Amino acid sequence: MLVIKNGKIITMANQVIENGIILVEDGKIKEIGQDLAIPSNAEVIDATGKYVFPGLIDAHTNIGLKEGVLRWEGADHVEQTEAVVPQMRPIDGVNPFDPELGDALATGVTTSLIAPGDVNVIGGIGSVFKLTGKTADIMFRRDVCVKAALGEKPKNIFGRKKMPSTRMGTAYLLRKALSDAKEYQNKLELGKEDKDKMPKRDLKLESLVKVLNQELPLHIHAHRADDIMTAIRICKEYDVKMVLVHAYEAYKVVDRLAENNIPVIFGPIWSCRWQVETANLQLDTPKVLADHNVSLALTTAHPDKPIFMLPTCASLAVREGLNPYAALEAITIGAARILGIDDIVGSLEVGKDADIVIADGHPLQIMSNVEKTIIEGKVVYSR
Amino acid sequence: MSKAIINAKIYTITQGVIDGGTILIKDGKIDNVGSNLNVPEGYEIIDANNMIVTPGIIDAHAHVEIWEEGIGWEGMDVNETTNPVTAGINALDAINPEGLGMKDALTGGVTTIWNAPGSANVIGGYGITMKTYGKVIDDMVMLNPSGLKAAFGENPKGAYGQRQNKMPMTRMGVAAVMREYLIKGQEYLAEIEKANGDASKMPKRDLDLEAIGKVLKREIPLKAHCHRHDDIMTIIRIAKEFDIDISIEHASQAHLIVEELAKHKVPLIVGPTVSTRSKAEVSEKSFTTAGICAEAGIPVSIMTDHPIIPVHHLHLAAAMCVKHGMKEEQALEAITINPARTCGVADRVGSIEVGKDADLAIWTRHPFDVFTQVKYTIIDGEIVYTLPQERVNEVDLC
Repeated sequence: MLVIKNGKIITMANQVIENGIILVEDGKIKEIGQDLAIPSNAEVIDATGKYVFPGLIDAHTNIGLKEGVLRWEGADHVEQTEAVVPQMRPIDGVNPFDPELGDALATGVTTSLIAPGDVNVIGGIGSVFKLTGKTADIMFRRDVCVKAALGEKPKNIFGRKKMPSTRMGTAYLLRKALSDAKEYQNKLELGKEDKDKMPKRDLKLESLVKVLNQELPLHIHAHRADDIMTAIRICKEYDVKMVLVHAYEAYKVVDRLAENNIPVIFGPIWSCRWQVETANLQLDTPKVLADHNVSLALTTAHPDKPIFMLPTCASLAVREGLNPYAALEAITIGAARILGIDDIVGSLEVGKDADIVIADGHPLQIMSNVEKTIIEGKVVYSR
Repeated sequence: MSKAIINAKIYTITQGVIDGGTILIKDGKIDNVGSNLNVPEGYEIIDANNMIVTPGIIDAHAHVEIWEEGIGWEGMDVNETTNPVTAGINALDAINPEGLGMKDALTGGVTTIWNAPGSANVIGGYGITMKTYGKVIDDMVMLNPSGLKAAFGENPKGAYGQRQNKMPMTRMGVAAVMREYLIKGQEYLAEIEKANGDASKMPKRDLDLEAIGKVLKREIPLKAHCHRHDDIMTIIRIAKEFDIDISIEHASQAHLIVEELAKHKVPLIVGPTVSTRSKAEVSEKSFTTAGICAEAGIPVSIMTDHPIIPVHHLHLAAAMCVKHGMKEEQALEAITINPARTCGVADRVGSIEVGKDADLAIWTRHPFDVFTQVKYTIIDGEIVYTLPQERVNEVDLC
């Protein structure tokens, strides 16, 4: 048994426990509170004077897929040969030895959605990984979305040779893929009744059927307000769930996002504005979204911005008016809810994974140092 | 108008920290600074109670609005990749003073930048030292030229050898091109000297060799993009051969050869460390580099390389170095007086001293506190940025 004692525990379950104790068994949190009995055979970490909080979650990265140091040799995040590739799966491309993963652990980031593609209209499945382990299979937790992208990137990459070369083309391809999946879904239903009618397996459409079944939401990359509205329009037409990703112009249509209950994974807030569609980055957008009760996560979009800046991204959002607790939620339990993994991570509660960070200061202070990062009860980083 | 900043905690950089101090500004210059100064009548008062004043922040290496923001290739003027030597081009001719990045600089208290061409070319062109406020670039210039941009390592190899199948394809090729043009520059200067004022004997004007001539005459330094330790040693070797002044730009592996660098006292411009390991030559990048080298007595500046790091976050890039062991004083010097020196303008900016330009940043908290906000940015005694009232935010973490 592992015990962390005497820390100031920010549980992210609406509780701050001074001089708190966490008992960890079999990788899970067994008990959490004050004045708990510590078994004599337990391994004890004394966190006196330290902050203890849940492992941080970056809700949208390419870490491990777009590896550090390497160029094309380690660029496995975008299958640029076709615009619609929902059959891609990050587990087949994540390199557990990507040196950037060490930065994540040293910053207390323990979990990330790793999704392919920001140039494909549909880039593939997005999956949640723990950021430690020798194999991608060990790191993998579950598939949580299908990634799509609107705006400049698809038409820029594909448009010179094939569709899409316009925003209309991008929207058409997204609709066409969902329509094809709808037909495939119907055939699958018929196949259940009559084996002879079972269609041939189609890996592309299998991914999208999960979207139509609302098993997986579409995570849609869109910056500009018109692209955001296109995303909402198409998702309504096909009755699929969506999460908006990046969303620099979300502030312009925040009422529509609120009205349609669309969660936003915003960021990176620490950024220049390289593309036209990013020109209107406003640093107070996280505050504006929170003020309208839009579910919010913050992301570095690693390697767009390095994953070790995740807490600083939250700090910047706070500097620009976001409530500090809301900012912490956006990189812990709030992100977990949007990704649908709040049953296992995002807060320190009994029964959840023991993904725990111990730091010498508040997680939002830039000078705070992470001293230990623990994933499922194992210390994976020590300062 | 003359101004007095009162009740401030003043980080002069060169003359210590003054608590509850006053800065008097007259005719755009710092007229006086101290703790018990009388404010003459008629001065506009800026009460900086509970605030911190530093010199205007200086970014020693950036591409602000040369690599324009919010527009695509139309505003991409950073690398003239048509020839590996474009010594005669000048950043001055590509800077959009109305661009988003220039406005951002003011929000981060950045008042001076060394703005230069990119690193695709072995010799890339003139960089200039400029202020960040103005309508017309010519009015913003402090020193033109203030350095000749050069590049070693992967970028020139990639831009020419890999993409265009021409020299340089190797590190040897980069060094050979550099030497070849330094020698051409020497020959050009010799011809001019030989002409001895006789116009009929003068060589044809060559803008590229003219630029290289300025380096050879040590009028301006060669500012060499080098990440890897071996690339750093290559330019130091060449600098000795040709007796020229240099600075090492980026210096991602400088900590690996710190003893060697300490011998040469070559200025280092470190960064952009708030980035991923985006290529092989930055595989060893570390937030400890700046501190280790400063501690060894090497003059260190910290850069944004904007837009790699947003220019207005320079103070936070420096804060990350402090977090990883750099002394706070050294990190402040690295974004004020040290870049002022390497950019050739230390007589005018980089510290709060009588007679210098009144370029100041007034902060709500220490610049290395992530929640700090720049309340005012002052250039030449004029307030050029004021924190909008609706953005004022006293963060309380509880």
